[in-house]
Parts: sequence; C-alpha cells; structure tokens
Amino acid sequence: MSTKHTKAADRFIANKAQETWHNQTLHFVRDKRDKVAMQLPEWEELRDTAHQIKMHTITHLDQYLEEFSTQAEANGVRVHWAKDAEEHNRIVYTILHSHHVKKLVKSKSMLTEECHLNPYLIERGIQVVESDLGERILQLMDQAPSHIVMPAIHLKRQEVGKLFEEKLQTEKDNSDPTYLTRAARAHLREEFLTADAAMTGANFGVAATGDIVVCTNEGNADMGTSLSPLHIVSMGMEKLVPDLKSLAVFTRLLARSATGQPVTAYTSHYRKPREGGEMHLVIVDNGRSDTLANSEHIQTLKCIRCGACMNTCPVYRRSGGYSYTYFIPGPIGINLGMLRSPEEYSDNVSACSLCYSCNNVCPVKIDLADQIYRWRQKLDSFGKADPMKKIMSVGMEFMFKRPTLFRAGLKMAPMLNYMPRPFVYNGLNDWGKGRELPRFASSSFASLWQKGKVTGAKQKHTDHE
Amino acid sequence: MSSKAEIIARVKQHIKEKHDMPTIEINAIQYADKIAQFKSILQTTGGEAIELQPDENLNELIRAHFTEAKNIASNLPEISLATINPDETADPHSLNQIDLAIVRGEIGVAENACVWVPQLMKERVICFIAEYLVILLNKQDIVNNMHEAYAQLNFHNAAFGVFISGPSKTADIEQALVVGAHGAKGLLVVLV
Repeated sequence: MSTKHTKAADRFIANKAQETWHNQTLHFVRDKRDKVAMQLPEWEELRDTAHQIKMHTITHLDQYLEEFSTQAEANGVRVHWAKDAEEHNRIVYTILHSHHVKKLVKSKSMLTEECHLNPYLIERGIQVVESDLGERILQLMDQAPSHIVMPAIHLKRQEVGKLFEEKLQTEKDNSDPTYLTRAARAHLREEFLTADAAMTGANFGVAATGDIVVCTNEGNADMGTSLSPLHIVSMGMEKLVPDLKSLAVFTRLLARSATGQPVTAYTSHYRKPREGGEMHLVIVDNGRSDTLANSEHIQTLKCIRCGACMNTCPVYRRSGGYSYTYFIPGPIGINLGMLRSPEEYSDNVSACSLCYSCNNVCPVKIDLADQIYRWRQKLDSFGKADPMKKIMSVGMEFMFKRPTLFRAGLKMAPMLNYMPRPFVYNGLNDWGKGRELPRFASSSFASLWQKGKVTGAKQKHTDHE
Repeated sequence: MSSKAEIIARVKQHIKEKHDMPTIEINAIQYADKIAQFKSILQTTGGEAIELQPDENLNELIRAHFTEAKNIASNLPEISLATINPDETADPHSLNQIDLAIVRGEIGVAENACVWVPQLMKERVICFIAEYLVILLNKQDIVNNMHEAYAQLNFHNAAFGVFISGPSKTADIEQALVVGAHGAKGLLVVLV
C-alpha cells in the first residue's frame, strides 16, 4: 500500500514540529473561513447559486466563449486560442518575441504552471520574474508551489531569511516577516520598473463585458500591468461567468473560502488595453473540453481555485503539498491529476480518508470526495490497483460468500489477541503499521444477538411482536 | 480549421446535458448602519475611514494625516495640495517616487469595505505605486453588499476599474500578516 504519496508523506512527517505547524496553520485558515462564512446568513444560498451558475456556464461554454471573445475583441483586446500547453507557450513566446521583450513580470497563475511556461520562456532567453511574494521566494529557491493560494506555506521564516541573505543581501539572521517583505518590495519594485511586459492569470472572465477579473492582496498584478505597455492574460476557458450580476456571487465566495477574508485587497477588472499599449488574451483548453464530456468528473470545471479543500483536508494538512505527484495538491488536485493522466497520477487517490470535509467547504459544491471514490473503483482498470489489496479482496469475497467459514473464522478471531506480536504486526499487515489494532471481542455481535443479549434491539423486536 | 474553431467545435460536441441559468435573487445581508459596518471592516483590513465634518477642510484633513508627504499625485480639481497631475505625465514609470495619491471612489461596500475606483485618470498606476492612498467617497454611495455594488457599477467606458479594500498586504511568509506588499502601505477613505 506504499504509494508515492505515502512515501513522500513519511518524509514530511519526519519533521514533527513542521508537520504540526503546517497542520495547525492551515486549520487556522479553515477556522477563519468558517467565521466569515457564518457572518452571512445567505452563505449556503450563495454556494447553491454559484454551483448553478457554473453548471450553466460550462454546459453552454461554446456560446459564452463566442460572446466573451467577441466582446473582448470589441474592447481592443487581441484574443488567441490554445488547444494545449504547447500551443499556449508558443503563442506567449511569439507575442513577447515580436515585442522584443527581455524581461517579463508575472503575477500568480496556476495555468502557466500547468503549461510549464516559465522554463519554456527562460530557455528562449526571456527573463521571467514572478511577482507574488510567495511565488518569488519559490522561484529564487527553484521550487514549485506547495499550495495554490499560499504557495510557500511549507517554508519557515528562517529559510526565507537565509534565502534573502544570499539573494537580496538582507541582514544576517534577520527573519522578521515585515523586514523580509520590505526587502522583497524594494527588490520587486525595481523589477516592475524595468520589465517590458506583464503577465497575469484570470480569476474570472465576464462574457457580457469581456472583462478579465484578477484578485490579489499584494497588488502585484496591478503594478505590473499598469506600468508595462504589454499585458498578456492566460486564462483557462472554464473561468467564464455570464455577466457582472453572476460575478457578484463569486466575489463574495472566493476570498472568504480561500483565506477567510471578506474580499481580497484588489479585485481588478481589465477591460481594454492601456492607452498606447496592447492587451493579449490566451484562452486555453488543454484537456478541459474532454472533461466536459466526462459526466463523472465534469464538476471539476466549476473550480475557482480557492484552495479551501486543501485547508480543510486532514491528509493535505498533515502531509504537505509536495507529497502529491500532481502540481495541484489536495482534493481538487487529486481529481485534476487523474483527469490529466490516471496512469501517471494515480498515487494521489489514496491521499483521502473520504471524510467529505472538502465537499462541505467547496464554495461551488464540487463533489470532490465522491470523485476520488470513483477513481479508486477504477484503479484496477488502469492497472494501478494495489496487488496486496487485490489478494485481500479475493480472500474476503471467498469468505463472505461462505457463512459457515465466516462464522468459524469469527470464533477463532479472539485468538489473535494472544498471538505474539510478530505474528500480527508484520510486513503483511498494512493496517498494523503505525497504529495499534483493536482487540477482538471474546464474543461476536451475531452470537450475542442470538442469545438475546443485545438488549435495546431485543426490546424493539418484542414490541413489534 | 483555426484553433478557435476546433476548440469551440469540441466543446459543442462534448456538452451532454445542458443546465439552466438560475435566477440570481440572493436574500443578501443588509446593515442597519452601513457607514459603521464599512468603517469597521476597513479597519480589519488595515485601512481607515473617517468622515469629513462640515466645518473641516478636505485638503487640511488629508495634510494632517500625511504630514511628511512631499510628492502628492491627484487629478481631482478640489485637491489643491497635489504636486503632480498624473494625467500630465508622459511615462507612468516617472511616478515611482509618489508619497501619496488621492483618487475618487464611486461605490463603497459595507460587507467587505470595497471601494469601486474606475480608471478616471490617464495613469492608473498611482493607485498602486504610491506609498499611501486616499480615496474620497460620498457616504451616500455605500451599499450593503456586492450584488448592490455590481447592479449600479459604472465603468465610464474606461480601460480598467478596481474594487480596493484596504492597503496592499501579504501573509506569504509563515502566514504572518504584513501590510504594504507592493502597493499602498496604508489606505485612508475620506467619507464626504
């Protein structure tokens, strides 16, 4: 039962202090989310409506894509279409190349991570600067995000202090977050002022107006795009909402779900290019149209990337983002990874206790846990079922179909309580690893029932008679 | 076939069951005192809202809050203490040394302290690049929630518009909140 996830999680939990901090910090964010959600009596109404708007939009996506792109073009935005990651990267590079861009500042975009845009551009001689503080820290460390909203949540301040000492010449052993943030502000201000182009993702695209809506707390998307003459937006095509009236619902849900704030500091609406500048929009499919045809997993297309499912997930909180093999971790990442390639990312489906907490916090009500359960049922068809579990399943099926054998086995079970430890806790018993097995009762429920010793139930039985 | 045509054809072909658009009629939160709610939420974001009293002078009030500000950018005619008009700058990069920017907001939102600021200036960067930001807002224009805000949103045919709620901030280092990431280190909303 050892998957890549469990092995990586072993490494993460080896540092007990870090694991505890990670778990508690993310649960604190979850608590904040609960508090701000409960301040709104209409919270569940909002979630229901958001779910319905998204289901409507993705099942009319052809119409909304036409409307959105027509509107954006009427606003002076140049619209490009990318079937896959390769085409997306090529389009972005072509735009940058034709404008002789040497330095590009980016605000956070999970889509460009999905497409591996940065290495593509860097190989072709373009300097790429991530401007979200967390993303910039990771870029300087040559690491990937471990959370989609709090990308550097796995790092301690001392690690950031040490990194800045080396890269930004900050004071030795000063790891005060305010001091480090100010140093990053000065460093990135210089990058903003010297960049030739700015790139953002999109939280929402508004079909009726052509607006690209980007939500940040730092204001980094706005700094980049307000200085540079060239703005490129990279947007997954499922990000559309029909109109501003629909958008209102999502602006109320996003930050409350993500970080427990009533809203992000900036909710920016980009409608037209800057005066004398250019704005380009790349609409990306990269597998999303296939998900539309997959009725068991279509709901992943509703995702607004808030990360609430990660913050609440007991497995994510205690194993960290790097334990997952797909670049998006947690419940939504498990599902998106399987949609990308079940053969490659099936190690993650075990990273779930089916507690369903993710379903309950998701602002657009994605059936996250149900989907993970469905993937597990299909593991064998991908050739990814655990061989030990398969043997166990065959054995259990054999036994459960034969009541006499089952009862005989049950009678003998208490003997396990008296077996020497190595007979019970060994390599063959995965359930005995890292935990104690419960003691078998001396008498089974079935035998107690037959002897009339299950009193509550017996009483009911008599009443009925 | 172009990529656009291919993508749209695939989307069309893959849609199985169509879902209706819901009627968006949220029974959304209302506040007895919208101004008090707005002020209280703005404070939690690290910002501040004050009401201009009838006997107070707007420019003096702002000056009193930012005694050390030297480079002050605004294109509002009533702001006499402005030293730079952002509409007259040829290059937004030259606005890097601004200490204070003063802009007009059109809608305040009580539930989350958002203020709608459409780009009614040539260089919108002043909203982000200035060390501190002041937004003038008519207190009659504070609505309860985002539904009401979007229902009366005016884009003025601008290129850009933004809801601003508090100063720029980050918690990317160990979830410790630091105000003043890239944008303004402080936000003062003056209710007039």
